[in-house]
Amino acid sequence: MSSSRENREQVTTQTHSSRSVLGAHASRIQRLGSTLPFGDERHLAAHQWLVDEAYLLDAQAYEAWLDLLTEDIHYLMPVRVTTALGAGFDTSPGMAHFDEDKYSLSRRVARFLTEHAWTEDPPSRLRHHLSNVRTFATPDEEHLIVESATMLFRNRGDVRESSFISAGREDLLRRGPMPDGSGWQLARRTIMVDESVMRMQNLAIFL
Amino acid sequence: MTDQSAVLADVRRGMIPAHIYNDQEIFTLEKERIFSRAWVFVAHESEIARAGDYVVRRVLDDSFIVTRDEAGEIRAHFNMCLHRGMQVCRAEMGNASHFRCPYHGWSYRNDGRIVGLPFHQDAYGGEAGFKRKGQRLLPAPNLDSHNGMIFISLDPDALPLRDFLGDFAFYLDYYTKQSPSGIEMRGPQRWRVKANWKIGAENFAGDMYHTPQTHTSVVEIGLFREPKAEKRKDGCTYWAGNGGGTTYKLPDGDLEERLSYVGYPQEMIERMKTSWSAEQCRVIGQDGFMISAASVFPNLSFVHNWPRVADSDDVLPFISVRQWQPISENETEILSWFAVDAEAPEEFKALSYKAYLMCFGSTGMFEQDDVENWVSLTNTAAGSMARRLRLNSRMGILADDTEVIPALTAEQFAGPGSAHVGYSEYNQRELLARWADHLERPVTAAAALHVGTTGVGEDRRAIATRNGADASDDPPALEHVPSEDAAEVTGA
Repeated sequence: MSSSRENREQVTTQTHSSRSVLGAHASRIQRLGSTLPFGDERHLAAHQWLVDEAYLLDAQAYEAWLDLLTEDIHYLMPVRVTTALGAGFDTSPGMAHFDEDKYSLSRRVARFLTEHAWTEDPPSRLRHHLSNVRTFATPDEEHLIVESATMLFRNRGDVRESSFISAGREDLLRRGPMPDGSGWQLARRTIMVDESVMRMQNLAIFL
Repeated sequence: MTDQSAVLADVRRGMIPAHIYNDQEIFTLEKERIFSRAWVFVAHESEIARAGDYVVRRVLDDSFIVTRDEAGEIRAHFNMCLHRGMQVCRAEMGNASHFRCPYHGWSYRNDGRIVGLPFHQDAYGGEAGFKRKGQRLLPAPNLDSHNGMIFISLDPDALPLRDFLGDFAFYLDYYTKQSPSGIEMRGPQRWRVKANWKIGAENFAGDMYHTPQTHTSVVEIGLFREPKAEKRKDGCTYWAGNGGGTTYKLPDGDLEERLSYVGYPQEMIERMKTSWSAEQCRVIGQDGFMISAASVFPNLSFVHNWPRVADSDDVLPFISVRQWQPISENETEILSWFAVDAEAPEEFKALSYKAYLMCFGSTGMFEQDDVENWVSLTNTAAGSMARRLRLNSRMGILADDTEVIPALTAEQFAGPGSAHVGYSEYNQRELLARWADHLERPVTAAAALHVGTTGVGEDRRAIATRNGADASDDPPALEHVPSEDAAEVTGA
């Protein structure tokens, strides 16, 4: 994906990934124009991709989920901070909850597949509620930008209080990985969580 | 209030009444007798590097604006307007020359002095009714820093911070002074867990015994090469002053080889050699012990580990500073910072940060399993059966208090304090002994501050005379230089 067009984009555009500590390698492709109509097949494909992905995350089918990620994936969840209106920033400089590449995500998944990841034994009951899906074209028809809202409900044990995470996401989908060019993979994700102080015992989950 | 003397006596002999990890009365005592006088970490100077930078941090229920004023002094203002008690700063961080209360518009310079009091003449009859001159946001009763780590104490008569840290300062340098420039801290990640605050502090202080079991999975996936059972018990725990921690025993080698073994590049090693004393170098280079986790009483902890961060055999060290901020008897807010030597190469800083994220913090693979245990423990400690149980925290000593393994001699361990190889609970006992000492000792009521009345002067002097300083209107501040009027700049 190193067309001269994308190279030009990389010089001029900033993304959350490019501003993060570990996202220099991430694609910098950005959206073009306004929301695609809900009847547009690109929107339908992107929406279905997200719903199918949410199923895998709920089922903790993390090996299958890992296959949905490109080799150059950047998976970013900044730490949100409360700042005065007009401060010009609302994320913690140089810090994130997730600032991941394929290797670090693969270690997280590998850990869940051991028999000793106690935090998920017994496993949580998870439900990723998905909404507000908006799809955008990019300068490159091999890529789409998709925005969505997600509400994760997590419950552990029998009587423990349940916990929630509400977040907005911006995803970069890249065409592939099937040999005939069909299907889509996630090349970049930014998760903007709606809390500064998380109310969940850990983030042994993915959003 | 129930008499807790039996609880304290049990704790002192290493038998822990299980309910202290979820007991409302105990928590009330902790608030009153520990957190109202101990030195509590609030921020690192690198978090407020420029004039006007501020972060808002709490000591339990009390919110403080920790800021660097226009003259460069570091201050901690109680975040409560002198008029009706509104929070004057409702952000977590930022840069401001002034703080203006949104309720009635009183405003304060970032050195705390009141600068704006709307309708002072009309409403109060001017100075005759309300003494505006000399009024400032209530300063933290005591403020001090060590290696850039800023602490406050709500006790105006607290021991100087350096005395409070005692010989733990020797070990603090490994985390916070790897070069003359010290560390820079990023974050914190903040999250709340349904666990009692003491459990994390105890665990980081000395629990080498949990590593092989709790953290089995991170060894299995190749993230960490060290914590196999037979390795962890070769390390030692140490306690010195008001803190203690754990170490790993490193393979044979000299100081450079051992620092290199955990992943430090040569240029950082050179700076460590000049920043640390001969004894500090000897603990690693000759004795072969590398610091890992540590805690300072009451609720500040550190961790230093060296995982693999890519598909190679190389390891990268990282440092995390964390605070176990008590919310209630069964809830703790964890504040977890990434810390790195300010002079480290940029590539090292990035990879060290990656190592941190993979291991500790809200998403860290070590931390995930720790918290699961601590939540479960706290939950179980609430019941009546837990009140019957005295948990045995005497690991490392026999029934007659003799040591299972004798303490390391000065020839074997160059650091101050007392150190023991092997699994033990010396440090957890040390931490809880201090806890018991505080809980036993009542606090005296603090002097009241009367805002804007003639009585104000006396109380103010009482606050300012900490550390035996001359009575003056200057509240506790760091890098004290005569302050000049702050420039009029717009701020939050």
